[in-house]
Amino acid sequence: MFMRILKKDLKRKKTMNIILLLFVIMCSMFAAASTNNIIAVTGGIEHYFEISNAPDATVDMRPNDEIKKEIENLPSVSEVRTESRICILDGNSLKRNGKKMDNYINMPVLISDKEFPMNYFDDDEKIIKEVPKGCFYAISVFTQDINISADDKFQFEIGDAKIELEYAGRFRGAFLGNDSNYSPCIIMNHEDYDLLYNDPAAESLKEDILYINTSDIEEINQLGYDNIYVESKSEYKGIYIYDMFSAYIMLAISVILMITSFVMLRFTVGFTISEEFHEIGVMKAIGMNNGSIRSLYIVKYFAISVVGSVLGFFGSIPLGNAMMKTITKNIIFVNESSILTGALSSVGIVAIIMLFCYGCTRKVNKLSPIDAVRNGQTGERFGKKSIMHLGRSKLPTTGFLSFNDIISSPKRFIVVTLIFSLCMLMMTIMSVFALTLKSEKILYLFDIPTSEAHIADLSYYPDIFTDFSNCEKAIEKTDKMLADNGISGKSGITMGSCYETFCGDKKAKIWYYVSRGLENDLFRCDEGYAPEKFDEIAMTGYAMEDLGAEIGDRVRTKIGGKEYEFIITGKFSTFQGSGHSVQLSSDFDGFALNDSISCFGIQVHFDGNPNEKTIADNIEKIKTVIGSDKVYTTTEMIKQCTQMSDTINAIKKMMMILTVVVTIMVVILMERSFISKEKSEIALMKAVGISNGSVIAQHAMRFVIVSIIACAVSLSVLRPLSNVIFNRICSMIGDVSGAECDINPVEVFAVCPAILIGITVIGSFLTALYTRTIKASDAASIE
Amino acid sequence: MNTVLKTKGLCKTYIVNKRQNNVLKNIDLTINEGEMVAVMGPSGSGKSTLLYCVSGMDKVTAGEVIFNGKETAKLSDKELARLRLDEMGFIFQQMYMMKNLSVLDNIILPAVKSKKNHESRKQTEERGRALMHRLGIDSVGGNDINEVSGGQLQRACICRSMINNPKMIFADEPTGALNRSSSDEVMNELLSLNRDGTTVMCVTHDPKVAAKCSRVLYIVDGGIVGEKEMNHFDGGEKELRDRERELNNWLMEQGW
Repeated sequence: MFMRILKKDLKRKKTMNIILLLFVIMCSMFAAASTNNIIAVTGGIEHYFEISNAPDATVDMRPNDEIKKEIENLPSVSEVRTESRICILDGNSLKRNGKKMDNYINMPVLISDKEFPMNYFDDDEKIIKEVPKGCFYAISVFTQDINISADDKFQFEIGDAKIELEYAGRFRGAFLGNDSNYSPCIIMNHEDYDLLYNDPAAESLKEDILYINTSDIEEINQLGYDNIYVESKSEYKGIYIYDMFSAYIMLAISVILMITSFVMLRFTVGFTISEEFHEIGVMKAIGMNNGSIRSLYIVKYFAISVVGSVLGFFGSIPLGNAMMKTITKNIIFVNESSILTGALSSVGIVAIIMLFCYGCTRKVNKLSPIDAVRNGQTGERFGKKSIMHLGRSKLPTTGFLSFNDIISSPKRFIVVTLIFSLCMLMMTIMSVFALTLKSEKILYLFDIPTSEAHIADLSYYPDIFTDFSNCEKAIEKTDKMLADNGISGKSGITMGSCYETFCGDKKAKIWYYVSRGLENDLFRCDEGYAPEKFDEIAMTGYAMEDLGAEIGDRVRTKIGGKEYEFIITGKFSTFQGSGHSVQLSSDFDGFALNDSISCFGIQVHFDGNPNEKTIADNIEKIKTVIGSDKVYTTTEMIKQCTQMSDTINAIKKMMMILTVVVTIMVVILMERSFISKEKSEIALMKAVGISNGSVIAQHAMRFVIVSIIACAVSLSVLRPLSNVIFNRICSMIGDVSGAECDINPVEVFAVCPAILIGITVIGSFLTALYTRTIKASDAASIE
Repeated sequence: MNTVLKTKGLCKTYIVNKRQNNVLKNIDLTINEGEMVAVMGPSGSGKSTLLYCVSGMDKVTAGEVIFNGKETAKLSDKELARLRLDEMGFIFQQMYMMKNLSVLDNIILPAVKSKKNHESRKQTEERGRALMHRLGIDSVGGNDINEVSGGQLQRACICRSMINNPKMIFADEPTGALNRSSSDEVMNELLSLNRDGTTVMCVTHDPKVAAKCSRVLYIVDGGIVGEKEMNHFDGGEKELRDRERELNNWLMEQGW
């Protein structure tokens, strides 16, 4: 008998059962895909380093056998592997089809395939064993912004050695870096490499990277060499900060999707069970006990949830892959037990549905048979008063009925509003982040003064890396170039170098920055005041934490072999040096030969307040004069530096697609279930002469109103929420507080709401058309 | 007297499990203005189906239904809805009302929706209240529908059916779910409406209800097998008992 009731129920309430099944599929898909993503992302870098055979530390130095031997002999060192490199300083040394390449900022680095100290991976995530002669692989920095295809020919020239190689594809190396702040690395066949390496002109371009497995990195530092640069495995994790940022955004999206689907599922289970109250009442009335009644529904939901979870599990595989591919191509994210994880997630969904079902059917115990009957199909409400009154309302009847429905059933529409608001927030926040991460509003976070053009071609200012005093010459050269070409403006350089700094008994590696040429007008201190004298510095909060210092404290460091003592005058926000930075006063000129210096190229500030066209014209002029395309606008420069704008744009697009899918599903499934529950009322309305059009409009309008409310709610919290999240995210990249987001009003206030409302209008209208199948005469035949 | 409703060869067929079920067979019927017609018959004879077909709530399979000079089969869904809204009123056995509206809002909803009505919302509300006052339920206007008794709710349904001053009211067992006293009150209201000129067609199982009507149709297996004309009832208890006795005798002749 039990099974017969169940079978009949599954058949008779086909629509609601199918709706529930679809929600279970959706929930299971999101949960399985999201769980896999979360596991892949959280273990992401560690796993990537592991499969790359990453060492504990690297030493970057000019080829020197003595130092190498000394390192090998250190007691803590268990293994040293060497990678020989050639750093190309001259832009003319590497050409594509005879033309100088301008799509990257830093100097290209050539690597031989003779013996790989680490595993490098091709685009199919397979380990590269060797490179065919006449070919080369390059990392993404090399191919950014150009349409490159396999078979493209590239000319390499060092001194008298000239070779032409074919591009074989992209490769990835865990320690090589992936954004434009890093050098474009190229691996080639050892025979081709040796040809260039053995040319006398390559002598000054040679570099060795030692990959060292050691139990104590400090021992290498204590050797006391100034001309070697030691980096630990954990420091290399910084390479992936932008990739991990995108990954964590995807993780947040996954969590939100899971929450959304659980909210929908909880609502649907509760809603479908409330549909059954009439029958529950009848069953109670004829003497069935509570346990039997509950088990009837629990078995039904179990059957639906098992079928839905299995289908959802299969759907989660392509969804999860699509989500992960959007994040980054730089890290190999792998969840080796993804099938098991997905299967466990699906089992989890079944368990959660059972819990929901158990919770929802608990009410069965409390209801008397007659309560259940009344609370069923008659749709009576208890203890609620109508808030709106038709007679006193100025709204048109259809609008009134829609609003009244929403107000009268707040729980169900709050669920829809919540889901819509989450979708809307995910879309708009992505839009805000994508814009802010290339906005001039955050220029100050790079310690760069107001400037409109940025010369990033290394060959234009190669000398400044070898001697800090050459930066004055580069500024003079640029100012003269501007004046000679009728461009009214001034140039400047912001440079930085990393030094061990001491405060009391504490020490830390801190980046020191100083601006030359242009006054750093955008520099501001969150606390205290900007450094004005030679021995004054502003310091970030992170650096102060490292040193246990406060404003007013004195810190010591050695720059160019000379000891300095600085007083901390203020605290500031910056992306520079991952937030472990110091801003020196503009009078400081202590950077010296052999200090490893970094800079964002040369900044140009045009006089007056030039409009976009003038800036573009000036930039074109500079490009022609210096013979390089590596002259960027501020937006382009920030975009290059943050590297996240494009990824976030891709996530934003994926969010838009997900929003469309989720909204359509929610609208169709929820509206269809509402209609199913309101069948008698719809029939009654038709019986009293209300037209099909009005009924359709009323049902569609309810969802449209909810979508408008969701837009208003999400847009009203967008700015504060974006600022809070943006600052949190920025504090992962640097030490940032108080940064404000940039908003594209058209996209945020027009395009995104239009997508949500438009989809709701279409979805709800098409679903409401179903009400046409309900006849006026059904009013008498519905229970 | 003007004809309000006329059917010619009205047929209604349902297909159930691939079998044809002829619910109404060639019904010819004429109802004139001011009549109060009861439709009686055994369960499943097609009484309610006849009511829904003639009121345009359901589509006919064959034949004509002419309501107030308009052939309903030729009207679009929108025009039919307009006809039901402006010229017909409905009362169901179950007191169906919109659960999210108060009793008064349920009553005035058709008037607010009607394009024929040029009153302000306030005036419509006042008219709704006047109707409620007339039917003795003016105290429950602001109540939710679960806060009133079945009799009060059915009277509210009568108010709703009257709000647009329809030409004809269709009632499907309006007293079926009520106790005797509520049933009498509801029927007295319908009688009173009829006396004011509204035509009423009422499906009922109750001879006491039918005894108050001016004509009784008896349906068996989808066809009208008997028709009894009676005078207009003027409301006396004795007269009602006489009419009920007379009707019962007639019904027994019909096989009731």
